[in-house]
Amino acid sequence: MSESFKESAGRKVLSRSTAKEIGAVGHILVDAHQRRIAAVVIGRGKKAQLVDWAQLSGFGPDAVMVVDDGVLRPPADDRERAAAEGKLELVGKRALSERGNELGELDDVTFDADSGVLEELVIGDRRVPAGSLLGSGSYAAVLDQSEDPSP
Amino acid sequence: MRLLMTASQIRRLPVVTVRGGEDVAEVRDVIYSPESGRLVGVTLNKRGFFAGRRRDVLPVQAIHAVGQHAVMVLDDSSLVASEDAPDDVGHPATERNVLGDDVLTEGGSSLGKVADLVLLVGGSGEVVGYQIDKAGGGQGYIPLPAQLSVSGDALVVPNITEEFVQDDLVGLGASVDEFRARLGLT
Repeated sequence: MSESFKESAGRKVLSRSTAKEIGAVGHILVDAHQRRIAAVVIGRGKKAQLVDWAQLSGFGPDAVMVVDDGVLRPPADDRERAAAEGKLELVGKRALSERGNELGELDDVTFDADSGVLEELVIGDRRVPAGSLLGSGSYAAVLDQSEDPSP
Repeated sequence: MRLLMTASQIRRLPVVTVRGGEDVAEVRDVIYSPESGRLVGVTLNKRGFFAGRRRDVLPVQAIHAVGQHAVMVLDDSSLVASEDAPDDVGHPATERNVLGDDVLTEGGSSLGKVADLVLLVGGSGEVVGYQIDKAGGGQGYIPLPAQLSVSGDALVVPNITEEFVQDDLVGLGASVDEFRARLGLT
């Protein structure tokens, strides 16, 4: 089933083992090279914690289920810390072609809720296949030159 | 039709990694070789206002693309310490500067003085023309042949350049190919 970053922002996160609510989806950290979700950031700010995609038992329409409370962990490196602070949030990020031209702003990203594989990037009224994503960081999401309309 | 920009428009552009999406530096200045008509690299500033100069430089071989909004590199390793860079990038000769040079045709007419460099957008920094302060006043743009003679005082261009003086970058972009075709360069 197809899901989107925008629709899933703020969705509640529950533990499968205790059925207790742990928090809400804050940000989503992607692995731009594999074009899939690497981890979900739960909460925002200093107390934000991460859950690796593999530790989810389901990314459902009503709740995100993690296998156990114990799998929540603090950010482990600079990139994860930046993600916890929201600096890597793809929605709202500047889209830049690898030729150095701005293509607009990323309005949303869709993904497969079963696999975490990214499907499409929404830029204004354009929908771009996620396969064109070459890299993403705090400054921009960089897209393949085939998405650049300039001469 | 070619998309062009001046060296002034490239200054202060962010240097962004394709693989990381990070703005790792910004362009301080372009380093240009008038003999070859090519950019040889750019010097760098740290990101942000008043952040100061970076000691490393970006040789043209490491530039992935020069765009309207960013200079793209593959990753951090594209930036090299100036002492490790090729000499023309790490220690550019100051007499290389063509700004202010008189532009003379082979026939001996002055077209004006060089005010800025004009580069091709999208590639890795081919200089295709100059912005000039015209001898009769006002600004113009002239296309460049691939080779020309140049000194610290003047540069000599083919006579037909006079017919190709343009009022703006769009006009220059439209005429570069025709100019080169007339010179038998393409």
